[in-house]
Amino acid sequence: MSSHFVLDLPPFSFAVHSDIAQVKSNLSIIYEQCLSKRDQQLVDYEISMVKSSGIRRFFRPQARFMCDQNEPFKPLDFQKSYAFLEWGMNWTVTAYEVQHLIIHSAVLAKGDKAVLFPAPSGSGKSTLTAYLAFNGWRLLSDEMALIIPNTRTVTPFVRPICLKNQSIDITKDLFPDGKFSDIAKDTHKGDVIHLSPPKTSWDAHKQNAELVAVVFPNYRADTDLQIYQLDKSQAFMQLVENAVNYSVLRNIGFSTLTNLIEGIQTFEIFHNNLSDVQAFLEEEVLVNG
Amino acid sequence: MDEISPELITTLYRSPNTAYKLSLLQWQKVILVLRHHQLLARYQQRFVQKGVFDALPEYCRRHFRNAKVIADNHNLHVAFEARELTTTLIKRTEYFIFLKGASYSLSNHPVGIGRIYSDIDVLVDAPSIVNVESQLYDQGWLSQPVSDYDDRYYRKWAHEIPPMRQSTRGTIIDIHHNIVPPISGRAPDVQALINEVIKSPEGYFILSPAAMTLHSLVHLFFNEDMKRGFRDLIDLDILMSTNTDTNYWQTLARLAAETGFELELFLACRYTHLTFGTIIPEKINEGLNKYKPKNLKLLDFMFSRILTPEHPYARSPFFSLAELMVLLRGHWLKMPLHILTYHLCAKGFISLTKMLLGKHFFEREVDKT
Repeated sequence: MSSHFVLDLPPFSFAVHSDIAQVKSNLSIIYEQCLSKRDQQLVDYEISMVKSSGIRRFFRPQARFMCDQNEPFKPLDFQKSYAFLEWGMNWTVTAYEVQHLIIHSAVLAKGDKAVLFPAPSGSGKSTLTAYLAFNGWRLLSDEMALIIPNTRTVTPFVRPICLKNQSIDITKDLFPDGKFSDIAKDTHKGDVIHLSPPKTSWDAHKQNAELVAVVFPNYRADTDLQIYQLDKSQAFMQLVENAVNYSVLRNIGFSTLTNLIEGIQTFEIFHNNLSDVQAFLEEEVLVNG
Repeated sequence: MDEISPELITTLYRSPNTAYKLSLLQWQKVILVLRHHQLLARYQQRFVQKGVFDALPEYCRRHFRNAKVIADNHNLHVAFEARELTTTLIKRTEYFIFLKGASYSLSNHPVGIGRIYSDIDVLVDAPSIVNVESQLYDQGWLSQPVSDYDDRYYRKWAHEIPPMRQSTRGTIIDIHHNIVPPISGRAPDVQALINEVIKSPEGYFILSPAAMTLHSLVHLFFNEDMKRGFRDLIDLDILMSTNTDTNYWQTLARLAAETGFELELFLACRYTHLTFGTIIPEKINEGLNKYKPKNLKLLDFMFSRILTPEHPYARSPFFSLAELMVLLRGHWLKMPLHILTYHLCAKGFISLTKMLLGKHFFEREVDKT
């Protein structure tokens, strides 16, 4: 049975079509109130996650992601289909939306003061994101920070937090009541699970926030909290590397990032304790922001 | 009520004032169709030009603005690649000419505004091709993986070599030595086009507007693949209706005669006029009348369907039949019968396997090593 949904995820909306039970069940776990049956809603994009055709669907079935008529990726193993859909949504926004500078980064806020956490896989960024989101902060985005050009304002794009490998067990222990998706095994990022942020984040999903800092987090099991103030030009270059549509926006991308980096605090931290990080953020960063 | 049709989208281009009548749900579908055909930026330009853009709902303007930014970036990117390519290759070839989409952008002609394309097409003299390929290789351009069958097909019968891709920037280049495959027996003496080469404002070699039009219409009507047919027909409309050169039509007719593509010129004039009301000078129409094909009714059936913005939301009745007919006609034009039979058998075997065992049977999964 195939189903048609609408995912209303401001500032974008998606019509989602799928004939895969796993996709449907995970969507309703993760998105709840943002998910509705497709009727007459106006949507930005039509995407689908469907079984591949041919005899193949009976042995080693695969899942295909389509954005309208366009298939940007090769099909993947069936059990990864929900994670694959999440990445497909990221692809869609990155490919077509240029009204914001998009930085591959988590953003969380307390009140209307926001902090950017860009970091590569394996740095413990998503674990930190989940921890903060469940401890009084609100999540604006786990993977795509949308910055209004030439401002320090972030538009939320609330989506689930993508956790990998060891952090799956850690977060399941930390938040036993969290709404988790099924595990997608052996993806290009390893094992992957998606965690829905708490209700406070969803409720504030249209509420912009002002950036006060960028923090590059690094988890090191053997290191107590160490904080380094980052040189502005270093921080700028790191943001350029993480800004996925920087080259498309050209001058606007450059002016947005320079304006941003000159107006906010810039840190790199090493830590082995999430609550230390939270204390640092709340007692130092937000206070001075 | 909220349905759309191919005619609605065609009319939207021809008479942008009809934009005011669309419901938001119709816009949603129109935007999907235009994006699919890489026409969002082109329509944006048209709406701005005709003064209707600012009155459109914010929903539409946002999607059009996105497309405009992406298209402008695309143009700047092509300008960059053109500079790099010209520096590398101009001294190593007898001539190095930009064709199609890239030449539209480089020409500063209205046909280049809002035009998106997936690769850069260039024309070089056949003897230089080997040299060009190795020079590009040194600059990080790698031949795209194609099957052994396709590689042989390109090298032996086609008018181009397999596409090459810039490994860091992802740009794709198609290197041609003629505008149609020599195997068709219809490949013209390229000198006719070389005589028409001009310099773009920034100093790149491109074809004159008339020769550009000729290539555009040959590419459209002497082809088996018309997936981008509607977009190409808009190109022709713009090229034909915005030229300022008094000799434009005369040159176009002469070039069509010299290269043997009078029928294609006839078809181009016919369908741009029928679809967009493009004005074709009386003299040209008269001159082309003798090339009017006997099977015009059949061609009308095919082209009136295939030259529309096809999409699951906007599909003409009998579209698939028209598509099949165009495919057969195109192959018939391009290949002698014995080659065609061989080609269809080889391709048929591959398609049959994919049909039975899944479209991606021959591919590896991306995340398996």
